[in-house]
Amino acid sequence: MTAAVSSVGLQVISAFTMIMDFVILVQKTLLRTISPPYRLRDIIRQLEFVAWESAPVVVFSVSFAAIVTIIEASFHMKLVIKNDALVPGFAALLILRELGAVVSALLITSRVGAGLAAEVGSMQVTEQVDALKILGIDPIRYLVVPRFVACVLGGFLLSIIANLVCLFCAMLVSQIKLGYSPGGFIMAMRTFVGFQDLVFASIKGACFGAVIPIFSCFYGFRCKAGAEGVGLATTNSVVTTSVAIIVLDFLLGYIFSFFY
Amino acid sequence: MIRFENVVKSFGERTILKGVSFEVQEGEILFILGTSGTGKSVLLKNIVGLLRPTSGQIWIGDDEVSQLTEEQYFPVRKICGMVFQHPALFDSLTIFENVAFGLRRHYPEMAVEQIQEKVITSLSLVGIHGVEQKMPAQLSYGMQKRVSLARTVAIDPRILLFDEPTTGLDPVTTNAINHLIQGLSRKLKTTSLVVSHDMHCALDIADRIIVLDKGNIVEQGTPEELKKSEHPLVKDFLMEALNAHGH
Repeated sequence: MTAAVSSVGLQVISAFTMIMDFVILVQKTLLRTISPPYRLRDIIRQLEFVAWESAPVVVFSVSFAAIVTIIEASFHMKLVIKNDALVPGFAALLILRELGAVVSALLITSRVGAGLAAEVGSMQVTEQVDALKILGIDPIRYLVVPRFVACVLGGFLLSIIANLVCLFCAMLVSQIKLGYSPGGFIMAMRTFVGFQDLVFASIKGACFGAVIPIFSCFYGFRCKAGAEGVGLATTNSVVTTSVAIIVLDFLLGYIFSFFY
Repeated sequence: MIRFENVVKSFGERTILKGVSFEVQEGEILFILGTSGTGKSVLLKNIVGLLRPTSGQIWIGDDEVSQLTEEQYFPVRKICGMVFQHPALFDSLTIFENVAFGLRRHYPEMAVEQIQEKVITSLSLVGIHGVEQKMPAQLSYGMQKRVSLARTVAIDPRILLFDEPTTGLDPVTTNAINHLIQGLSRKLKTTSLVVSHDMHCALDIADRIIVLDKGNIVEQGTPEELKKSEHPLVKDFLMEALNAHGH
């Protein structure tokens, strides 16, 4: 009985320590992001990796997501209310409020987040992070901050691109499958969504982007030695980031609802 | 130069160092021997603040360093160079950039030409030439270890800390690295702490040896004094050294 209580106690302490470590990492990252030096060259290099190199996979995937959205919405509306006049509006609403930002963030998580966790994790186990400290370099400023800034900017940009591509694909399918002209699609869409939806979607993209490097580096820094350790750090990082994005999506959606 | 006073280090319920006290004199080469998992690397990492003691004091010169903040550790790390078990070279940087990395941080006033000269000199000290523009992955493990040593000595530390510097190396390279440690320590007049489990090498180049077992110092003295030790672990180490090197 005493051993069980002691074991639970240790687990509580361990969880509390982990949460505190995470809070400290977030705090240090934010403080170092706003204070010089800014390491612009590293930020640009990371931005290329996060935004430019992720763009094809994001564009490709969200195009199909948009096509499926239109086809499914049309099918069900015809089935239930025998009319698909509301399809462009509902589809645009779904795309701008959820699909564009969330799908692109999850894709960035699987591509960039996993890579970051593995990179920082292997630096941790091969003592490169300790070497940075010994050489007088702050690992958070050197490793986390450029990736954090790049992911925030990349998330913001990719969210805009993903939403525009989604809308374009939805319009194209509506024209081919439902017989809407581009003008008719936009008119129908405008009754449901406005420019502020695109702004909110971009803000969501930036917030999702911010979450990715924080969790990835957090798990990378805690990585245990060996291939299994790096693998576990990567898995934990991707799972936690994905869950965090879904939860954050709900919170931001709730907050933005006050502005409509 | 370095003084440990009753240093205890615990991770949760596990106590790794159990009240360790010893002193290292300036210019001395001190070997810390022990079996795996006995707290040797933990001891070394406490000196440079990569780990902090649970209790006790660590003195470097006249400064007690165990309670310093990360920022306050910066000058301490300028005088304490550390060579890790892994080469720990930065994969994305060339050999030149790796060696210049610490120089740029610790000596921001240094001109580009001076950095270039210092990098070449440091690489020459460890017997490496003409690889400045190569990436770490293009060098053998032994050469990476040498570059790691060059990166450490480049910032002119007064204290050199070696964490199992010959782990994973073949006997010939091990011997070369060990004599490099001795040569550099004498030439640069540094105080050196070497964590190892190689008794043969310790007897060969150490001024003094400390034997650590389960978080406690069980024996210490000069190589000659240790050869006369009756402690079972020390005798095991001596036996192993004799068997491995056939004398």
